[in-house]
Amino acid sequence: MKTLLFLIPLYLLPLAVQSDVVLTILIFTFVLGILAIGFNIVFGGAGQLTMFHAAAFGIGSYVTFLSMLRFAIPFWLGFLVAVVIVIIVSIVIGWICFKFRLKEFYFAVVTLAFAELCRLVVLNWTSVTNGTLGMLVLEKPTIWIPGGGVVRIEQTVPWYFLTLICLTGVLIFSVLLTRSWIGRNFSAIRLNEDLAQTLGINTFRYKLLAFTISNVIAAFAGALYGFYTGYIEPSYLAVAQSLDAIAMVLLGGVSTILGPVVGALVLTSLPHLIELPAEMRVAVYGMILILVILLMRRGIVGLAAGLLKGRVNAA
Amino acid sequence: MTQVVVGQILNGIILGSLYGIIALGVTMTFGITGIVNFALGQFMMIGAYATWYFTDLAMLPFPVAVVLAVVLAAVAGLIADQALFRFTRNNLVNGLLVSIGLISVMESGALLLFTTTPKNMDIVIAGSWSLGAITLPRMKVVAFLLLVAVIGLTWLGLSRAWLGRATRAYAQNPEAAMLMGVPTKLLQTGVVVYSCALAGFGGALYASLFSLEPSLGGLFILKGVEAAILAGVGNLLGALAGGVILGVTESVGSLYLPSAFRDAYGLVFLVAILLFRPAGLFGSQK
Amino acid sequence: MKSFFKGCVAGGLMAAAIPGFAFAQATVKLGQIEAQTGPNAIYGYMSSQGVPIAVDEINKSGGFKVGDTTYKFELIALDTRGDPKEATIQLKKLLEQDKARFVFGPFLSNVFVTIFPYAQQFNGKFLMMGGGTRIHDFVGKPGNDFVIRTWNWDAGPKGFGEKMVDYLIKTAHPKKVAMLFQNDSGGKVLGDIYEPIFKARGIETMTEYFEPGTKDFSPVLAKIGEFHPDYLFPGYSDAALYDIVRQSVEGNYSKKFFLVRGSTGPGLKNKDGLEDYIVYVPKDFEEAEKKEPKVKHFIDAYKAFYKRDFPYDQAPLCSSSCYDHVYMLVAAMQKAGTVEDVGKIRAALLSMTYQGMWKISFDDHAEQVFDFDIVHLKKGGAKEVVHVEP
Repeated sequence: MKTLLFLIPLYLLPLAVQSDVVLTILIFTFVLGILAIGFNIVFGGAGQLTMFHAAAFGIGSYVTFLSMLRFAIPFWLGFLVAVVIVIIVSIVIGWICFKFRLKEFYFAVVTLAFAELCRLVVLNWTSVTNGTLGMLVLEKPTIWIPGGGVVRIEQTVPWYFLTLICLTGVLIFSVLLTRSWIGRNFSAIRLNEDLAQTLGINTFRYKLLAFTISNVIAAFAGALYGFYTGYIEPSYLAVAQSLDAIAMVLLGGVSTILGPVVGALVLTSLPHLIELPAEMRVAVYGMILILVILLMRRGIVGLAAGLLKGRVNAA
Repeated sequence: MTQVVVGQILNGIILGSLYGIIALGVTMTFGITGIVNFALGQFMMIGAYATWYFTDLAMLPFPVAVVLAVVLAAVAGLIADQALFRFTRNNLVNGLLVSIGLISVMESGALLLFTTTPKNMDIVIAGSWSLGAITLPRMKVVAFLLLVAVIGLTWLGLSRAWLGRATRAYAQNPEAAMLMGVPTKLLQTGVVVYSCALAGFGGALYASLFSLEPSLGGLFILKGVEAAILAGVGNLLGALAGGVILGVTESVGSLYLPSAFRDAYGLVFLVAILLFRPAGLFGSQK
Repeated sequence: MKSFFKGCVAGGLMAAAIPGFAFAQATVKLGQIEAQTGPNAIYGYMSSQGVPIAVDEINKSGGFKVGDTTYKFELIALDTRGDPKEATIQLKKLLEQDKARFVFGPFLSNVFVTIFPYAQQFNGKFLMMGGGTRIHDFVGKPGNDFVIRTWNWDAGPKGFGEKMVDYLIKTAHPKKVAMLFQNDSGGKVLGDIYEPIFKARGIETMTEYFEPGTKDFSPVLAKIGEFHPDYLFPGYSDAALYDIVRQSVEGNYSKKFFLVRGSTGPGLKNKDGLEDYIVYVPKDFEEAEKKEPKVKHFIDAYKAFYKRDFPYDQAPLCSSSCYDHVYMLVAAMQKAGTVEDVGKIRAALLSMTYQGMWKISFDDHAEQVFDFDIVHLKKGGAKEVVHVEP
């Protein structure tokens, strides 16, 4: 929990920084950080490499928006509809995968296949999703503020706080989850699935749970992202989006609490800090990924934690 | 209408051989080094661009260009192996992630060198053969025969030559093979290099048929992995069969369903196979 | 006269007192957001190539004069990589940090749609000149004065599409046309525009869509082959066109082609196999280089600036938010007499006709109208260029 103290300066940031650009970058960081945390729960927690989170991300944004349109309900109710759909989809896919005892790599491939299928459906179901043209999202989430009534979140600063609060909420949830017996069962499955099985843990149920939770969180990130950018399109469900989230988690530190957020921060702000010819940026991104895998397995947070511990021990 | 279907079956078989050679590379790499090299598509891209460069810009004869392209892809594979894959043996997840990183680096390199504007090689063998209402471009048929020949020779090499038998022995039982004196490190590197060369060869032939873009690797590696899993990872001739099945399904399927779903067939196949026959169509249950 | 002279001396002394400057120098910031790289970079790439040449020329010649002040351009060109999220951040930077009043781009429709709500907040404070197809739906509407579309529109009274179809009918009298477009916003829009145009002229059509990234067109071409069209109308970027034309010719599905996007390249590569190839190009640069001095000047400048060969088949895309537009903007600023009053500059821009490499003017909807070429290739490569002025 102490790691969450790092968030406090972020709450105070808008007082010091006036630049809209910085706040915008941070908003994207927070939202993508939520997506990354979701992925970390199923990968860093339960050890299952999934490629489905981009699909959940996209489904979250599409279903939330479409529900708001069709049923004239506010953002949070629309999101609830998305949650229900994502849970159903996750259970179906997860059931298929885990019942058939698909091992790591094949699980990744099958979730990739399902994610691509979802993307193709969204791309071609033009009557509902407007297909490749995407949809303009002019609705905004509304919040009830005591004393202020119902407020639409439209300007940068309100969005900043909304996304920061959502991120905090998701972080607290992930901490509580990791510490609970559910989280410990996830870790057991990650470290040695067969052993966990013999210890009486129903691996099937827990893997399914991790997969579902991860996708619901991804859907949350998707809803926020879609409404913030004001535009949703089928590429939200593309493999590249999944890979981005994976890179963020790896860079920041798998199985750590703040890792995904740190990774999100670095990868979102990097293109704006380093002025490189555009082609080089992608190359740098790839090299970072490679270096992290080969040299920095525990990611930035892991490395930092290790250094701190080393200092404490040495002293 | 039947002639159209037959035409598409033939087209699918030819396209499938291209998927097949990538699938072969995937399957060999997985069997020996324990990872799936997603970056094989990039080596295919190297082969393709190199062939285009040598044929159109350096004005060398096509066969010479192909040989040079394959060598280039193989060398690139060697570098990648020594610098990266050497450290991720048997670690599927790390291997996957490193491959993805490599893809970004290589694709940007191609973008820098060649820009996103597609390149089109001058036609090597023009014209088509006609059988009734079915027309098959000559270059496609030639490419198909070459691909099948290379895949066949690979299979032959692996079943007859000493190195080949050693490779299969290692795939079946690494420890025993090591005890028998099989040079494992050399073997693993050799397989990575060879699969990159195969991909490069596929790329060279691809260049003679289609336009080139830096992103061409991405599509083919997905199809290659699908075909490999379809056939059963580890089964070599099966890789070709898997590729052909995929190619034919796509081509014939696109006649009846919107072409927008062309990529879905492979995915559906993949899921179905992995669920009901995880060892693949031709694999043996462990 | 004496006081005027004194005033000049005083002014000159004051200006000289400012360190580093020999005479008054001011800059006008010019922003550009295009996809220079990435899968959809074909359109943004050329625009981002042309603008620096113009800016460099203008600055090297001492700048441009509006009123009493000489200005130079500062170009801030950002690569969106086709990512709407990137584009949002970049536009914010251009408008808030750099305080640019003129932005070229975007060409990509999905990028434009995403940045539109934010850009609209700055209506009246800047001008956005982009070529994206979707811009057509926004341009000319109240509250959207900031956006101007720098590409001509296919349909409508000055639409080049109508003129293309008229030419096709005049030279070939087709009865059936098969359309093959990419399954994305650009392709869908083409289908929506051209189906009615053909139907209105009594031509039977069939429309098929292919996935972006397709290389093997055999199945969909076979379907089209069954329709036995007189002409195949494929779209829209050379990436797919080369493969479509080649495979259509080799597979004997259709040897006659009609195009409103893309270049002469696919036709030339397959010249021995095809029978007819009619394509809209904003300008046939190879021909124009020989006849039009301004075109030759641009080509030479390009080669000198980038030290590489001139991409003849990509260059026509430069008709959008590119070289000519920089000079046209300068002319508009001079006509309006200001570099800051965006409303006046817009009015000047929309009311003028600029003759650069193209003769550019605007219609009532702030959408561009410019002259173009129809290149007609016959079997064997014989080329005929027809110049059309709408």
